[in-house]
Amino acid sequence: MKRPLRWNLILVAVLLLLVALIALPFWFVLTGSIKAPAEIIAREPTLVPQSFTLEHYVKLLAASDYPLYMMNSLIVASVSTVLTLALAIPAGYAFFRMSFRGRETLYRAILLAYAFPSIVILIPLFGIFAKLGLVDSRVALVLVNVAFSLPFAIWLLRSFFAGIPTEIEEAARLDGGAPFTVLRRIMIPLAAPGIAAVAVFAFVTAWTEYVFASVMILSDAKRTVPVGFSGIIGQYQIDWGLLLAGASLSILPVVILFAFVGRWFVAGLTEGAVK
Amino acid sequence: MMTYRKHYLLATIASATLLPFAAAAQTELTLWHMEQPPHRVERVQMLLDEFNASHPEIQVRQEPQNWGEVYAKAPAALAAGIGPDLLFAIPDFTPVLKDMGALSNISDFVAELDEAHDFIPSAVEAYSYDDGVWAVPLYNMSMNLWYRPSVLEAAGIAVPQTWDDWQAAAAALTGDGSYGMGLPANKQLYTDQTVYSVMVNGDAAEIYNADGTLRFDNPQTVEAYRFYNDMLQYSPPDAPSWTWGEAEACFASQACGMIMQFSVISTYETQAGGDADDLGVAPIPSQSGDEHNAIAYANAVMLLSRDEEKTEASKTFVRWLLQPENYGRFLNMEPGLFMPVTADGAEAESFWSDPIVEKYRSQIETVIDNSQNGMLFGFTSGRVFPAIGAISAQNVLAETLQTVAISGVDPAQAVADGQTRMQQLTE
Repeated sequence: MKRPLRWNLILVAVLLLLVALIALPFWFVLTGSIKAPAEIIAREPTLVPQSFTLEHYVKLLAASDYPLYMMNSLIVASVSTVLTLALAIPAGYAFFRMSFRGRETLYRAILLAYAFPSIVILIPLFGIFAKLGLVDSRVALVLVNVAFSLPFAIWLLRSFFAGIPTEIEEAARLDGGAPFTVLRRIMIPLAAPGIAAVAVFAFVTAWTEYVFASVMILSDAKRTVPVGFSGIIGQYQIDWGLLLAGASLSILPVVILFAFVGRWFVAGLTEGAVK
Repeated sequence: MMTYRKHYLLATIASATLLPFAAAAQTELTLWHMEQPPHRVERVQMLLDEFNASHPEIQVRQEPQNWGEVYAKAPAALAAGIGPDLLFAIPDFTPVLKDMGALSNISDFVAELDEAHDFIPSAVEAYSYDDGVWAVPLYNMSMNLWYRPSVLEAAGIAVPQTWDDWQAAAAALTGDGSYGMGLPANKQLYTDQTVYSVMVNGDAAEIYNADGTLRFDNPQTVEAYRFYNDMLQYSPPDAPSWTWGEAEACFASQACGMIMQFSVISTYETQAGGDADDLGVAPIPSQSGDEHNAIAYANAVMLLSRDEEKTEASKTFVRWLLQPENYGRFLNMEPGLFMPVTADGAEAESFWSDPIVEKYRSQIETVIDNSQNGMLFGFTSGRVFPAIGAISAQNVLAETLQTVAISGVDPAQAVADGQTRMQQLTE
């Protein structure tokens, strides 16, 4: 059935409005980062830059510890992602495949981890980590990030494994495949969209984590981007160019990750949504 | 030749044997401060490098922290035994650490420094209570009224002295996309500071009676809130959500004719052209115009180590930092923002020789003059009420304004509610 032209126009207008709502803040941040200081704070904001400078990026990368913060964030987020996947895949598969008492209850209970705001456990966790000598170490951040990503990752992956036709798995078992071999050779490749979705989720969660990173890390050399960057911006005086340049660079790794696994991520989310 | 070789061998052996002892004798200190912008960290590092080079027996390293987290982080780190040896503070932060037993009375040390450098009395008073002095004042910050002389002249207005002048000036400067006065109204520290700056100029500086009971709910405070709320009509529509940075940007872009701020010099210099002749600073107008006051903070350093050797090393570092030849360079980690708290620091060549300070000398002299009448809520009239820490931590002054400006509650009712809230927080 053909839609009337009027409805198409309304649809396009609504879509354009939504795109503008999402894209405009990014546009202002990205273009602002290459504007001269006076233009950034001008009374009338300019949609198209009237000036061009890279001074904010030069200052950010040469005169601050931002590159170090980026490196720390990359290490923490990457290791957290790999560990989350390494634990969530077998755990998700075990919840799907293995039969044990209380399986369903436990499966639902793991999401209870999100019932507690992180701030509630911040100070007790600090005390425990201090006793273990983990305060001011990136290991502490990895542990926290994995602990917070893992429940949702397990929950999501189990639903992916459940969506794979059982005949495929049974055929592999009949051919003599051990559970781990079946998981590695059959189930993981088939659950790739779900694994990609979990990887992006774990990476973004670790990349943007602020509360624990701000308290667990004491020395400047180990700070991650969200915490280090908030300090660079300043309190009483804000260098707006520096802020916009830092914000622009901070989204780069996430954009790159999405560029590589974005297709799988979207597929993973939509598949997960109907299972 | 043989003798030389023998001596060389002996010297090598001696060095190899003694060096570990020399290294072991070095006292390592960790300094936490909240001056995180890169140029301030760089300046502190430059000074630390100099100190460490001139005091090989002491090694001080910095770990910049964020004001947003340090109230929770410092107590937790100290309780876990991994806290700093030196920690910068503002007056309402010190009671938090004193109450957990992390601070020792350093009145003798402060008296020694006072003898050598002559502290501004109010700077020391903010850290003197419960029969002790708990931190060494380091630098002052006071709130001022910033304006552009050319803008005021074009509108045919003089620098406001009274609240009536101020309101008339703000009204005259508002229109055609410009706003007379940039004022915040959200629940955070900047609003606490601007609200109190109006209160201290409306005879409402005292939040406590001499006996420690609250006197926030009084006609003068109500009048100050009413005036502040009236002035908000001359602020940009987004101003209620501002912090310091947005106010400065508004001023730098000439969208705001006047703002209250500690200093705008850095931003004005780097982002607004930096015409020193067109930057004006004045005391905050008072209700009657007779006496002008301002909110002022003396930032300080707390000595936290329990180890005697480390405490002595910390004192050596603070003594060195307050020497006029070093002190000015320390203050100028942010030129125009941090003001001296010592008499010899106010005259130090190292302070006045900075290019930015030289350029804005008249403005900085005015800021220093204004800071002489500096006050801080809970630390007034020579009395200190450490319970103010709980009140300022919850931004009750700002919260009270918010109920007036955003929720439309009558100022008298809002101030009464504010006092009740203060009582609840300090009981």
